[in-house]
Amino acid sequence: MSTLKHKGKGPQAMTANELRDGFNVWLDKNLDWTRDYENSLRTEDQDLIDRMQLKAETDEAKNIVVGTYFIDVEPDTGLPARYREKFRVNGPSYDTADLLEAK
Amino acid sequence: MYRYDEFDAQFVAERTKQFRGQVERRLAGRLSENEFRPLRLMNGLYLQLHAYMLRVAIPYGTLSSEQFRMLAHLAEKYDRGYGHVTTRQNMQYNWPKLPDVPDMLDDLASVQMHAIQTSGNCIRNVTCDPYAGATAEEIEDPRPMAELIRQWSTLHPEFTFLPRKFKIAVTAAKKDRALIKAHDIGIQIVKNKAGEVGYKIIVGGGLGRTPIIGQTLREFLPKSELLAYLTATLRIYNRYGRRDNKYKARIKILVQETGIKEFTEQVEAEYATIDISDIAVSQAEKDRITAYFASPDFESLENEPAGYTAELGSNKAFALWAKNNVAAHKASGYAIVNISLKPKELAPGDITAEQMRITADLSDKYSFGELRTTHQQNLVLPHVKQSDLPALFTELQKAGLASDNINLITDIICCPGMDFCALATARSIPISQAIAERFADPERQRTIGEMQIKISGCINACGHHHVGHIGILGLEKAGVEFYQVKLGGDASEDAAIGKVTGPGFSQEELIDGIENMVELYLAKREEGERFLDTYNRIGMAPFKEVLYA
Ligand code: HEM
Ligand code: SF4
Repeated sequence: MSTLKHKGKGPQAMTANELRDGFNVWLDKNLDWTRDYENSLRTEDQDLIDRMQLKAETDEAKNIVVGTYFIDVEPDTGLPARYREKFRVNGPSYDTADLLEAK
Repeated sequence: MYRYDEFDAQFVAERTKQFRGQVERRLAGRLSENEFRPLRLMNGLYLQLHAYMLRVAIPYGTLSSEQFRMLAHLAEKYDRGYGHVTTRQNMQYNWPKLPDVPDMLDDLASVQMHAIQTSGNCIRNVTCDPYAGATAEEIEDPRPMAELIRQWSTLHPEFTFLPRKFKIAVTAAKKDRALIKAHDIGIQIVKNKAGEVGYKIIVGGGLGRTPIIGQTLREFLPKSELLAYLTATLRIYNRYGRRDNKYKARIKILVQETGIKEFTEQVEAEYATIDISDIAVSQAEKDRITAYFASPDFESLENEPAGYTAELGSNKAFALWAKNNVAAHKASGYAIVNISLKPKELAPGDITAEQMRITADLSDKYSFGELRTTHQQNLVLPHVKQSDLPALFTELQKAGLASDNINLITDIICCPGMDFCALATARSIPISQAIAERFADPERQRTIGEMQIKISGCINACGHHHVGHIGILGLEKAGVEFYQVKLGGDASEDAAIGKVTGPGFSQEELIDGIENMVELYLAKREEGERFLDTYNRIGMAPFKEVLYA
């Protein structure tokens, strides 16, 4: 569920889904959306966090993304803290489509 | 097979056109997500963990070859080459893109299909015995009744905003292949003492976070009173069902809190106020619907023709497949063929576009162009000549569709879990694959015999784990998946909810534990006992002991 109210702990990243294609995206350091979590901005800087929030609200209103929310990031690994969010970063561990592509 | 009348066709076309407009307005920014979300859900479109997901309704699990080819087309053109058969006999696509969805719905409409009422607090797709119209066990084909309910419930003005979703399942055989006792309403076609055909109505079953086995609301309802009686029942639910708490909003909670006796009295009192003739469907209309489900023109054939029995004798692989995947047909010389979607290499219920097309062709060649999806996430060719079975088997083998594991330990029901589902707490597909791997030896599977393992990736229980002989629920704590085990569930006419064994396991411990329990069963079983029977006879304690060893 989209919740912009950020009550997170530690470093934060901003995530959403692309409106058209549905794919998961994160804000990068230029405050553009990236499908690659590696390139995402993860920060504890409150000013940056405020700008991320503003950008998310703006792009949601502009119908570029849907369901924006902050996620907690593990300071040591840089990965999302929540298990579910780790999955959103990695994609399915199994997908029949991958087997078809491998063929 | 049922074909839409003009009203249906026009309605679906209008609905698709409407949705196209809504998608356009959404993409152009004239609809916000808050406005759009209920609209897309009404058309079967979810936003999942990684992408959109489209759920296509397959009314009562019956498909024509033409429709199945269209599902293949959608998989190929708009998705990533495959689809997923759900436990409610529907088809899900995991990777559609929003701008494509109206085209998908148009394509579906061209073969009389849609995605309406696959979501939301309405009466959902009616599910049905996949052997309907083919098994000698049934009193009559339950699909005309299912179709009648579909027509009645589609966009029913009074029942479009129920306290919560509402699921109906129907069967006409004693042997329950539709899980009628785990639905909001289950309907069984029965005969009374006078030999009249009517309905037994079960109410208040369900899985989810509060699993409950349905109870009998009416032992015998005359046929002509069905819609009126359903109306009365839905009215009581609509009036008294809880809207304050989503988790207590299903009819099962209302029935439980009211008590079946009082609930029945309420329904009967409401029923007494209804003028049956207001809702009754004319005989002509019933005949019209029933005609669509008329049996195909079966030839008069001998059972067990020579070519078939010779092949049974000479081809071991064929014989094993036939023994396990083929069921008796009502017409002499014919058979019901189960196609397993549980090969070791694919996720349970997944089928590639190519396999869909091949199956559609095979159904044209061997089964009057008809096929079925099952809640076990498999397929059925309902009407195959026994003399064609060897040729069909060979073609299924070529397509990777000849797994002979129906109802065995690797015929696992499994929801998408954390690999796809936004609500999941843990993965379920890798668990089913690890079990399939551990019990890969077909000989061993046959030695174990009938065994139903069912896996859900969260408490919503889409994978039916409550009614698995072994049920598995995926949970997560501090970033680590773990799996809780239930034993003794039963999805048959003797439906029962399994009991939790205790604390959960890691994946590796779980697979070892299952193997230990299977070994215990093999050591303890008496003549003819399935795992479930042995469990019911000796109880949980010995199984628990080896599970936690
Ligand atoms: C991926 C998107 C899905 C979502 C968001 C979803 C959501 C849910 C939720 C919230 C419930 C509980 C409803 C309640 O208790 O009122 C539920 C139940 C159920 N779902 Fe799903 N589900 C999904 C996929 C599936 C799939 C893939 C299947 C089949 C394999 C399935 C089959 C069922 C069934 C049979 C139930 C019935 C349990 C009951 O009696 O409530 N669902 N689903
Ligand atoms: S049981 Fe949970 S994880 Fe599985 S499909 Fe249903 S909602 Fe998703």
